[in-house]
Amino acid sequence: MNNMKYSICFISFIFLFMMSMLNFIFMIYFIMNKLVILLEWEIISFNSISIVMSILLDWMSLLFMMFVFLISSVVIYYSKSYMSSELNLMRFIILVLLFVFSMMLLIISPNIISILLGWDGLGLVSYCLVIYYQNLKSYNAGMLTALSNRIGDVLILMVISWMLNYGSWNYIFYLEFMNNDWQMKFVSSMIIMAAMTKSAQIPFSSWLPAAMAAPTPVSALVHSSTLVTAGVYLLIRFNMLLLDTFFLKMLLLLSGLTMFMAGISANYEFDLKKIIALSTLSQLGLMMSILSMGMPDLAFFHLLTHAMFKALLFMCAGVIIHLMNDMQDIRFMGGISMYIPLTTLCMNISNMALCGIPFLAGFYSKDLVLEMVNFSTFNLSIFFLFYLSTGLTMFYSFRLVMYLMINDYNLMSIYNLYDEDYVMLKSMFILLFMSVISGSFLNWMIFPYPYMIYLPFNMKMMVIYVSLIGGMFGYLVSNMNIYSVNKFIMTYNLSNFLGMMWFMPNLSTYGLNYYFLKFSQNLVKNIDLGWSEIYSGFGMMSIMKKNSVLYNIYQMNNFKIYLFSFVIWMVIILFMMLFNI
Amino acid sequence: MAHLPLLGVKTHSQKVCSLYKRALRNLEAYYDRRNVYRYQAVLLRDRFDKNAKVTDMRKAVELLKEGENELFMLQHPIPRNFATSVGGVAHERVVTPPDWVIDYWHPLEKAHYPEYFKRREERKKEFIAMWEKEYGPADKKDEKH
Repeated sequence: MNNMKYSICFISFIFLFMMSMLNFIFMIYFIMNKLVILLEWEIISFNSISIVMSILLDWMSLLFMMFVFLISSVVIYYSKSYMSSELNLMRFIILVLLFVFSMMLLIISPNIISILLGWDGLGLVSYCLVIYYQNLKSYNAGMLTALSNRIGDVLILMVISWMLNYGSWNYIFYLEFMNNDWQMKFVSSMIIMAAMTKSAQIPFSSWLPAAMAAPTPVSALVHSSTLVTAGVYLLIRFNMLLLDTFFLKMLLLLSGLTMFMAGISANYEFDLKKIIALSTLSQLGLMMSILSMGMPDLAFFHLLTHAMFKALLFMCAGVIIHLMNDMQDIRFMGGISMYIPLTTLCMNISNMALCGIPFLAGFYSKDLVLEMVNFSTFNLSIFFLFYLSTGLTMFYSFRLVMYLMINDYNLMSIYNLYDEDYVMLKSMFILLFMSVISGSFLNWMIFPYPYMIYLPFNMKMMVIYVSLIGGMFGYLVSNMNIYSVNKFIMTYNLSNFLGMMWFMPNLSTYGLNYYFLKFSQNLVKNIDLGWSEIYSGFGMMSIMKKNSVLYNIYQMNNFKIYLFSFVIWMVIILFMMLFNI
Repeated sequence: MAHLPLLGVKTHSQKVCSLYKRALRNLEAYYDRRNVYRYQAVLLRDRFDKNAKVTDMRKAVELLKEGENELFMLQHPIPRNFATSVGGVAHERVVTPPDWVIDYWHPLEKAHYPEYFKRREERKKEFIAMWEKEYGPADKKDEKH
């Protein structure tokens, strides 16, 4: 099947790519005419009960759809080569298409029920994709992913049930009205929590690096660009609801910490895909925090540009992993720029876009975000979180480049890397083009008027200073290394703490299981087999026994009392029947 | 990295060798440049060699225990595993079920593919004939599937 010219991959690619272009054209039309279309499609109507599916099309949903279609099309085209030795390719492609479908459902729906459908679909399909390689690691990672996302699903279900109070689930109409209602604080906090699970913010972060057990094309599509941004997108849609809530401040802090934590952990990680996943986590933190500062359009902008270059970065990583015989550990790699120059080119450009090197995609969004942070009135800790994370981005990108491209080759002594997989390369070049231009073209297109920013010179240059320092540290620390002392062993406990994402994986796997199981064991011992046994099982029996002994005494000694009371009752009932009481 | 040796099954020298190998693997995880790693490996070898001539078993066991403890305390949180070995990312990623599994299909399942199974039975007979011609009849005791 794979040798055929028109394989399932190619057909899906064409279809998705065409859809993407179609959405692009519509998006331009919508944005030019400031058009919003709200369709109410009546699925079934029966005895004055109608089931209506509502669809919201505006430039935002169309633009996001365009990006999702584009990335999924190239990813499917890419997996023609990446998954070529796969027996169940059809299953893979169908799963990816299902994923795209649920994503669409999430994007276009102004209705919380259909959002739940898309949301749950994302959770389910991403679970199936994480456990696609059926080994123990994938199963564990899949379970962690699915259960973490399930928390968000439950919260959305609770939002649905609460929204019943307002008479409709089409939240988009009622947001402003509902905002005046104090009960909406519950709904907004639940929505924020749900978005935090999907976007892997701090208490729920551990699933994102674990989900890297999925095949690399899946990571490129699902865990970098689309699924994890679903939470951000949800919050953008609900943004009206969230203004000035206490929970939004919490979100700002948590997402800032996520950004910082992920940036640090990426510097300690050795798994190629996990490094990129942690950098995704860092960028998600950036999006979330700028969103919680009240600038959803900037968050959306960064979401889109990030989707492009991060998908590209993952695809490059996929090529390298593919060529390295499934090795993902960067300690095995090095000097690959000599062997696979084209892939290295893509990788470097996406890395630079990630760091915000001027005039690549990331620059436009990230620089704008950071300058708006500079401009805002939040306190110093938020400011430091943002700038340190920016420096850390440079830090781990440089470290990655050092390990992959500059240091010497570290695997087997004779092994031939080659750069001839043109299917992969072609699909990467599409994204390469996009990750160069998408920043500027989105910037010109989606902002009707420019942000006016006035800053002192040094504040303006702060991003560049921080990036330069970060890059320098990244170069020095990963190069001058270890000849005399090992920095890792010297600070073993601290490094362990920072490198293991502040022990968050332990918290959400072992931590969750152990303490709750311990607690339940105590419950079983003290309640089920203890007090509740005494009061319900054993206690009821003893009460019954005592009572029946008592009744026995009554029955044996006072038989005439029973007869007498029987007669009295008969008389009463006769009277009642006679006088119709 | 190998699993911990079973107590009582291995000799003392085997345990020392195992510790040495695991310590080397641990060093590999820390020092990823080969020349640096070689230098550290030589230092490690020297530490082992210094105590190689210890004949007092009580002291040797104590040293081994200390070594195990040190290795445990300094184990790398992200060990450098080969992808397809135990603990690696691609370990048991692609598991092809063995051929004999098909023999255990239910007859109803087999009935979905009548031609394949007819051909399969023929091939099995041919294979057994070929085998017996070459190696003689198989022992009934060895038959497993």
